[in-house]
Amino acid sequence: MKTYKFFGDLVKWFAARTRRAGLASSLRVIGFGAFMAAATVCIVVLAVLPGAAQTAAGGQQANRAASGNAENGRVVFEKQGCNKCHGAQGEGVGAPGSTGGVPRIASTALALPAFVQLVRSPKGQMPPFGSQKISDAELADVYAFLRALAPPDKQESTAPKSTKRGERLFNAYGCYECHGYQGQGSTQTGGTRLGPPKIPLSAFVSYVRAPTGQMPPYTAKAISSEDLAEMFAFLQSIPQPAPAKSIPLLNQ
Amino acid sequence: MPKRKSAAINRRDFLAAMAVYNAYCDRVPVYIIGGNIMDATKRVPPVEWAHSVQDAAAMLRDYTKWDDLPVSLTHFAESAVRAYKIAMTPPMMPVLLIVDAELQENPISSDTKMHIPSLNPASPPQGDSGSVAEAARLLVAAENPVLVFDRAARTPAGLALLIELAETLQAAVIDRAGRMNFPSRHPLNQTERGREELANADVILGLELNDFWGTIHSYRDQMERTSQPITRPDTKLIGISAATLFFKSNYQNFQRYPELDLDIAGDAEATLPSLIESVKSQLAANRKSALQDRGALLTAAHQRTLQANREAATYAWDASPISTARLCAEIWAQIKGEDWSLVSTSGFVSRWPEKLWTIDKHYQVIGYSGGYGIGYGAPAAVGAALANRAHGRLSVNIQCDGDLMYGPGVLWTAAHHRIPLLSIMHNNRAYHQEVMQVQIMADRHSRGVERAKIGTAIDDPGIDYSKLAQSMGLYAEGPISDPKELAPALQRAIAVVKRGEPALLDVHTQPR
Repeated sequence: MKTYKFFGDLVKWFAARTRRAGLASSLRVIGFGAFMAAATVCIVVLAVLPGAAQTAAGGQQANRAASGNAENGRVVFEKQGCNKCHGAQGEGVGAPGSTGGVPRIASTALALPAFVQLVRSPKGQMPPFGSQKISDAELADVYAFLRALAPPDKQESTAPKSTKRGERLFNAYGCYECHGYQGQGSTQTGGTRLGPPKIPLSAFVSYVRAPTGQMPPYTAKAISSEDLAEMFAFLQSIPQPAPAKSIPLLNQ
Repeated sequence: MPKRKSAAINRRDFLAAMAVYNAYCDRVPVYIIGGNIMDATKRVPPVEWAHSVQDAAAMLRDYTKWDDLPVSLTHFAESAVRAYKIAMTPPMMPVLLIVDAELQENPISSDTKMHIPSLNPASPPQGDSGSVAEAARLLVAAENPVLVFDRAARTPAGLALLIELAETLQAAVIDRAGRMNFPSRHPLNQTERGREELANADVILGLELNDFWGTIHSYRDQMERTSQPITRPDTKLIGISAATLFFKSNYQNFQRYPELDLDIAGDAEATLPSLIESVKSQLAANRKSALQDRGALLTAAHQRTLQANREAATYAWDASPISTARLCAEIWAQIKGEDWSLVSTSGFVSRWPEKLWTIDKHYQVIGYSGGYGIGYGAPAAVGAALANRAHGRLSVNIQCDGDLMYGPGVLWTAAHHRIPLLSIMHNNRAYHQEVMQVQIMADRHSRGVERAKIGTAIDDPGIDYSKLAQSMGLYAEGPISDPKELAPALQRAIAVVKRGEPALLDVHTQPR
């Protein structure tokens, strides 16, 4: 009640100031004073109640997400390279942890504020994306894009069941040259370790089409996406190796 | 008839040109004497005409340090001593004397006065004292100094000096392996995470660093070739190298121009004592704690890298063909108790020896070819094994299959001269460097990627290297494609080598 009395006084003060300035009719002055009083209430309440401030900010972001541009979100998603780990459809692969893997992020169950918080300060191997790299507005667009994607149970796996053909293709296309026959990689060739893969199929295909390192790009004319899916299935079939500590020769 | 022997030497120059170029690039002193027949009336037709030239040294002049054509015996004596002195003064390189058949074979008349000059070797050039002091100042003041060694340790003393410099500064070391510069398990050895260290460095010292520019830049070899610096813009770059004292124009092995802040012309090993002394004198007592902290961080990073290497080796551990990691781990298990020497380059097996073995003696690594000439491996291994024989060392050669096919006769040389050498074929059945290049080009045109092996694969028929070696008198086994068979086969072959003979194991391996 005491606070309310204070704002009542503030309204009067504004009314007096504007009257003196002769800027508007008394009715309009009263209306402006009331608006300022209400705004000040909000500011004071937010300042003394942090939880309320978060709620308000979350509300703003939620509003942005509601109006987020999913199409631009897809563009940002690819431009920032999110697809290179999480896949073009945010589908992820495997279980993150000691065996590797990237979490599924489509369609995200997080609220937008939590999503933004995670991108800004991620856990695990994901690098942080600061506001200089990607703005809140862009993240809201990405969020809208991810929300629009199909949830996990409605997506169908495109991975073939047989791995024999994939292995044959892996060798025929010469992938083993740099990556080894089991995709173990090599520091000398710069071929990354591929087996078992830690990125989803769509990210695998995206990378083959437009790699960033020494690997040459392979167009769809050179290797079809179907063949890449077969090779991916082969790589997925490669078991995780035993830890080094269990191999005597690696503890000499 | 002996003239024919001398004339034929020109033909050998043709055959050995790549070996000479490798030695030139690798700063190796090689003393070469070639023959010729200048007097046209003395040439036996038709062969000696085909093998005689006007300027016999011309074909090697671009990649030798000096050559001469002495026309009298006294001239020959002076040039012979001079050639040795030039070759042995850093930067060391091959020298060539052309000795005409007439000079070689004509009788010496009794009244000929000859004098052979005494040999007084030139002292190696040292870096200017002011510049050395400035280099020491920069290194002492640096927060993250990085030392990059390439052809730095010429002698066992050089290895000890490099260790002393690194330990005095508690600085990260990157070994580019042109020589045996630094122990593989030394806690300051950061070679495998060198790029990370270079990115954080505020001062980088390169010692006899063949490619300084390439060390501090990344290079993307794609449709459009691009590069970018790895280092910070304010990083101070210091080079000490005798290579600065000698350049030739035609062959471009001097690499891209590095923009050094301090370029000290001088032999690195000869300059190290004064550099270490200057570092020690400028190192204030209050810096020692910071240096210890830096050393502790580097030690922890080294341990993490070792563990990461071991984990990386587990991938394809039981694969057939055998992974290069498994191959090297199996070899290490059998030789670690011996006085061993690796007489082959490790680049073709993804540097697993450096990653998995304890390498700490000056003779345990022989560097690399220098000019990247294929066919270097097998003869270099036999030569190094010959040098090791006198010391009773077990010479180990991880031999690439394509490389051996350039001069398989060297196996017979090893057998004939009873040179103890364990050769383990890294038989990946292709010229893989070429396969990858052809593959890139095929991909560039989006066609025929799967045909990149045409002309580059060594199959259909595959080569049976054990039979090839057996035919030249070696003990040999293989091909081995099951990794479980490696250990007993290695034990049998090592037993043969320890008896003083060469042995070969043919192993089917993964590409790299």
